[in-house]
Amino acid sequence: MIKIENLKHYYKDIDGNEVKALDGVSLSIAEGEFVAVIGANGSGKSTLARHLNGLLVPTEGKVTVNDMDTMDEDRTWDIRQSVGMVFQNPDNQIVAAIVEEDVAFGMENIGVPSAEIRPRVDKALAAVGMSDYAKHAPHLLSGGQKQRVAIAGILGLEPKCIVLDEPTAMLDPQGRQEIVATVKSLNKEKNITIVYITHYMEEALQADRVVVMGAGKIQFMGTPKEVFCRVEELEKLGLEAPIAAKVASELRKCGAKLPKDIITEEELAKALCQ
Amino acid sequence: MSIELKDVSYTYSKGTPFERQALNNVSVSIDKGEIVAIIGHTGSGKSTFVQHLNALLKPDKGMIIIDEVDATGKTSDAKAARHRVGMVFQYPEHQLFAETVEEDIAFGPRNKGFSEDEVAVQVKEAMRFVGLDYDTYAKRSPFQLSGGQMRRVAVAGVVALNPDYLVLDEPSAGLDPASRLRVFREILELHKTRKIAIVIVTHSMDEAAEYANRLLVINKGQLLYDGKPEEIFKEHSAELRQVGLDMPQVYNLGEKLKANGLNLKGDIMNTKALVKAICQAKGWKNAK
Amino acid sequence: MLNNITLGQYFPGDSFIHKLDPRTKLLCTLLFIVAIFFANSPISYGILCGFTLLVILVSRLPFVMVLKSVKPIWIILLLTLCIHIFTTPGETILYQYSFLTVTKEGLELGVKMCLRLILLLLFSSILTFTTSPIVLTDGIESLLRPFKCIGVPAHELAMMMTIALRFIPTLLEETDRIMKAQTARGADFESGNIIQRVKNMLPLLIPLFIGAFRRADDLAIAMEARCYRGGEGRTRMHQLSYGSNDYVAFVVIFVLIFGLAFLRWGTKLI
Repeated sequence: MIKIENLKHYYKDIDGNEVKALDGVSLSIAEGEFVAVIGANGSGKSTLARHLNGLLVPTEGKVTVNDMDTMDEDRTWDIRQSVGMVFQNPDNQIVAAIVEEDVAFGMENIGVPSAEIRPRVDKALAAVGMSDYAKHAPHLLSGGQKQRVAIAGILGLEPKCIVLDEPTAMLDPQGRQEIVATVKSLNKEKNITIVYITHYMEEALQADRVVVMGAGKIQFMGTPKEVFCRVEELEKLGLEAPIAAKVASELRKCGAKLPKDIITEEELAKALCQ
Repeated sequence: MSIELKDVSYTYSKGTPFERQALNNVSVSIDKGEIVAIIGHTGSGKSTFVQHLNALLKPDKGMIIIDEVDATGKTSDAKAARHRVGMVFQYPEHQLFAETVEEDIAFGPRNKGFSEDEVAVQVKEAMRFVGLDYDTYAKRSPFQLSGGQMRRVAVAGVVALNPDYLVLDEPSAGLDPASRLRVFREILELHKTRKIAIVIVTHSMDEAAEYANRLLVINKGQLLYDGKPEEIFKEHSAELRQVGLDMPQVYNLGEKLKANGLNLKGDIMNTKALVKAICQAKGWKNAK
Repeated sequence: MLNNITLGQYFPGDSFIHKLDPRTKLLCTLLFIVAIFFANSPISYGILCGFTLLVILVSRLPFVMVLKSVKPIWIILLLTLCIHIFTTPGETILYQYSFLTVTKEGLELGVKMCLRLILLLLFSSILTFTTSPIVLTDGIESLLRPFKCIGVPAHELAMMMTIALRFIPTLLEETDRIMKAQTARGADFESGNIIQRVKNMLPLLIPLFIGAFRRADDLAIAMEARCYRGGEGRTRMHQLSYGSNDYVAFVVIFVLIFGLAFLRWGTKLI
């Protein structure tokens, strides 16, 4: 679905120094996959996200979406229609002053016939559980609800893939749960490919595959199990492992013989209480 | 030395159709030297609550007394009392405005009437606390810094007021794990050296358990619980879950291990304590 | 402090006036303004006042609320009245004090002018009271569309209004927050002379502007990501359509205009 080959993205900062935001990233994402990208602030994960729908284009290397090159300007709008994007700040991505108008915004942009927009808006709002709020003003919604409206706005475009760039960074725990649950159900039920960027490891645990970014490069990747048992490497990158993995790692230092791949509480309990 | 709220009630937009009671008869006293965590849902009234701690909001009913002075008054005593409470709002980096980092941090102390010498001392001190090197950053524009650095400048701007009470509304919001740890380390350091009171509003029970020695749980505009975190978790876990607040992960994990037959002793409020308890139970030698 | 400011002055309802197409309401308001300038006799002013009263009744808006909309311009009304009273030359002198002369003609003209202003304001208030700003924006866009060929950026104007409507509450919230944050750092927004006050506002205004630019930046990227590329080839979810009510409204307003025109010029012909 998405292929990234040796992607480099450089830019000049205010002092004129060249910053290597991405320094040789290669990654391919299959259709229907749920990929989490984790990394500390400044690791290049947001820059990577913006390459996936052509908001940024590579300095070097190549990004293709369903074989469409993001450098090809004729395909920009096709790419953006198939790869939707949700951003960090829930306030700054809602355009209209009424929820349903905002959901319709994307469809209006690509010229969906008026008669078709209405049912698609209703469907999209239902998919994120926001049907009751169709006529509400966005500024009166909670952060989690705003993000769900943003997701609905993208669903209206019937994308193949949704990229979420730290969608929960500004939300409270309840909002975070709402978003993770929504994203998971879209992935499972509608088979939408998900690229989920976050620094909350609890959220990354839900993914099929976790990509760990640091200093503009992919440091390592694998299933959540493979990634999150590498406690010390994660901490070095400014990230955190799940609590059970952390405790297991500490216990090993005390001489305990525990399996290498403990990441959940259940696994730790089993290993300790046999 | 304390901040006292006595039977404080507050209603937003009184007399309009949007009227909403945010605080209902809250009484609490926060002493110098405490680290208090305030937990509650969005909309529970906890933000309204902290804005009363330095009388930014004036209560409809009740009193705010800071160091024995009625802080809602217009006297210079009242003003001075309010100035002893430093307040770091959510996303404080959005309030930066001056041309240089130094100027921005000096804004508060100057308003407070410090002499220029004193201002310079406070600015340097504050920058040291938040880990920004004076020579490197003082003359830079705050808007050229990274998000995390901007946050630290903003916190320094409040620390430079040399407050006796420091209130922080979700100081770690939006930061990555390493930066979150760092923010709390700096706050604890400040508490240790200046012996001031710290009030932290947070969504994270883990942060509350790890850093606070007193916990206030606010729900629907009322003070639900007030006490030591370990006691509240032990005695009221069912009720807390009922209002939708989760226990700290480390506490949950400890409970789970106990339920599986592991004999863990002591209060488990952080990872270190849990590891220690497991080592004891299993007879392993604790490395630390 | 600043929350809960209702946007525009929309007063929800489902009266005949509320249900009219926004374009009908806009056009009828324009036509009514034309009608106001046709009026020249006490009878025609009476008709206009009666008509306005009738519209307020039909719209089921609280009468006092509509009248209150005149309040912000009372000083202009007073000025208008004074200027006309004291400067209009005339034959019937009612009162004279040194160089100030009040004539009957001046008094009549002053009252007329004020009445025109009041009617104009009342009628446009009824428009904003009965039409949500969002629908109004749609109406304006639709009415301006034919003028696109002479360079009127209809879509861009409407988009700007939509975004303004969306972000005004957010920016008000932000103002409130920054104000509190700076107050907590000892800022004083309320005392001092005017120059000092402006200077004191900087710690509020600078972060506010920077915040607004940041939001604008974010929003532009988010809009681009959602395939926004200007008005070309765009469709709309809600399409405006005229109903039978709208035709009734147009007939009524035209009867009013022709009636007033007849009163002004027609009576001389007979």
